[in-house]
Amino acid sequence: MIGEIAHFLSLSAAVLLILILIFNVFFSFNKIHSNQLTLSLRLFNQACFLVFISFGMYIYLAISDDFSIVYIANHSNSQLPVFYKVTSIWSAHEGSMFLWIVFLTGWSILFLNSLNKNHPLKRLTLLMLSLIILGFMLFLLITSNPFERILPFGVIEGADINPILQDPALAIHPPMLYLGYVGFVIAFSYITAYLFNGDFELQWEQDIKNWSFVAWIFLTIGITLGSWWAYYELGWGGYWFWDPVENVALMPWLASTAFMHSLFASSKSNVLKAWTMFLGILIFSLSLFGAFIVRSGIIDSVHSFANDPERGLYLLGFSGFISLLAMGIFAYRIPSLNSSKLVVIGSKESFLSMNNILMITSIFSIFLGVTYPLIIESISGDKVSIGPPYYNTIFAPIILIASIFIMISVDAAWQRSMSLRNISLTAAIPSVFSLIITYVVWYATGIFSILAYIGIFSGLLILTSYFVRVINNLFNNRFINKGSAIAHIGLGLLFFVVSMNSILSYEKNLNISLDQTVAVDESVTAFSFDDIKVIKASNHDIISAEVSIRQDGKNVLLNPQKRKYITRGQITSESAIQATILKDTYLTIGDQLENGSWTFSLKINYFIKWIWISSALMVLGMLITIFKQKTS
Amino acid sequence: MLQVRKNRLWKIFTIFLVSSGGVFLILFSLNSTLDLFYTPSEMLEADIKPEYRIKLGGMVKNGSIKRKGTATNFLVTDFVKEVPVTFNGVTPDLFKEDSGVVMLGYYLDGIFKAEEIFAKHDENYMPPELSFEEEKI
Repeated sequence: MIGEIAHFLSLSAAVLLILILIFNVFFSFNKIHSNQLTLSLRLFNQACFLVFISFGMYIYLAISDDFSIVYIANHSNSQLPVFYKVTSIWSAHEGSMFLWIVFLTGWSILFLNSLNKNHPLKRLTLLMLSLIILGFMLFLLITSNPFERILPFGVIEGADINPILQDPALAIHPPMLYLGYVGFVIAFSYITAYLFNGDFELQWEQDIKNWSFVAWIFLTIGITLGSWWAYYELGWGGYWFWDPVENVALMPWLASTAFMHSLFASSKSNVLKAWTMFLGILIFSLSLFGAFIVRSGIIDSVHSFANDPERGLYLLGFSGFISLLAMGIFAYRIPSLNSSKLVVIGSKESFLSMNNILMITSIFSIFLGVTYPLIIESISGDKVSIGPPYYNTIFAPIILIASIFIMISVDAAWQRSMSLRNISLTAAIPSVFSLIITYVVWYATGIFSILAYIGIFSGLLILTSYFVRVINNLFNNRFINKGSAIAHIGLGLLFFVVSMNSILSYEKNLNISLDQTVAVDESVTAFSFDDIKVIKASNHDIISAEVSIRQDGKNVLLNPQKRKYITRGQITSESAIQATILKDTYLTIGDQLENGSWTFSLKINYFIKWIWISSALMVLGMLITIFKQKTS
Repeated sequence: MLQVRKNRLWKIFTIFLVSSGGVFLILFSLNSTLDLFYTPSEMLEADIKPEYRIKLGGMVKNGSIKRKGTATNFLVTDFVKEVPVTFNGVTPDLFKEDSGVVMLGYYLDGIFKAEEIFAKHDENYMPPELSFEEEKI
């Protein structure tokens, strides 16, 4: 019964949204009644509340193990802890789409009600948001109904959540990611409304700035959590695979980073207005494209949901329509948007626009990498895939040029050209130091990889130039923008540690019998396989190995496991990780051979912790920027 | 007027040159990093040079997995032809007999040397080409 009520509430929300659109578009588009906005907003708020209540009921259904609902029966289980019963809702397509809509309505209702009562763009923004929410509501209810029942009777026990998703990081990764993806709907709708309205005297940057910044924070956290989870849970020892689904998350991230920067330029010196608006529209369009790629099954990826042409077609049509609508309005208004002011070459905003172009180039390259296999397949029928080498070669030069611009722009001023002499002065110390350190790394490791050294050098350029700036701030009291400095130090650190990781990390495969000890290399001088036992847990059996290694003169105990989940029969590996500041010792247990011995994979991964630290720094920098604005 | 046109022409020409250079670089790096996907039959028909890295997908033949030391040897089949595969390292959890597998590696002297093995996060996964082939059988 509760399922039917929840279903009914969602349907009613969709009907209310249709009413809002009909009421505003067909009856009184030009003739605006005084209370029309009030009424529309009231209807919109009610629609949103219906969605929230419906989702709340759905959570209740999941907690109370209502296995007569197909989706819950397929993805939950009565033995699961309550926490995972709730998170099982977003472990597959239908439920995660529902969550997506809840966030969409959440952002929308907060934004609309925060706007001034008679804000000139309120009605148009409301209509755009209603249209987008309605599109997704219809998608959910028509093609992916989470409320569908197993008739006439439900099943007794659910099929359980996929065990690799039974993990705290992964439980909060989708909500964070979606909050980010969906948060850019505000910039999207507001800019479209602004362009449609056509009154270009209005100031629009301030209204959406912080909303977009907060969405950026969620997106960054979401991507990092996904990466962290993949690192410790999948047992491959990697944190980023250039998988199509990772790429479609990276594209909106890059677009929103470019958007933030150009927003700063356009609010500081009144340039790049049209460009900023274009980016604001682009971010959410890329989020929509991502939703299409992930949910249509068009690309074969470890993340993709099941293949369904009907869903793919709907999403392609809907995202295409929404994006083209916004882009069309933008194109129509372009002639009247030209900023009267031009970017001064050598000013801070000129370097910033250069990096904007680089970020767009990266987005384009990723887009090409994701779609190229599809194009090739439709033309020649050949199946191809594009892996890390493509992205590494494309990104190395982009990162290098971007880092040079970041280094120079640290000392550049808004609207004023910087002399060549000053540019060389700014660049001198970081360039020399970075070259020396890069050479030292090369000399010490003896490993050569041109791409990795470009990354190391680029990261060092950013780090050393900010180091110089911090010193200047401490001793000469020169101004430093704290938020920006922390975020860019995070970025420089990321380039540096990722490249160091790629040259230093290595893997050893071992075949060893119980009670045997072997030497691995100069660092791991002894590796002993002490014990192996079978443990019974509530919903899975564990094979747990005890391994003690002597590494760099210290003893380390490691406990890699294999788990077999009873309901699904699925086997997962739990790698044992001993993390230190510099490197992680990462051990996975493989299979047993006929002679009773076991295989192990020992990976030494460098600087992994620093990858998470660098993205935490970027988030921190952003937070400082937001709060500093509030107080000033 | 002429001067203005000339300038405009130069501008367009430069933009054209720079962007075609960029596209060329991207396509060049695309081509050198592309991995072609084959089924065992397709791979045996095609002339694969030892230095070409390719993706091979199929089903792990029942009863063919032999492990020795850290090496795993098995046969991958598309129900028409089969290819011996050797892999050094720990195989993924979903790697098992009678189950779909996709590998990245090189074809040398009649043996496919796999550098990476992908098994999908779905126990019923089968490469799309194969589920098609299987229906035919």
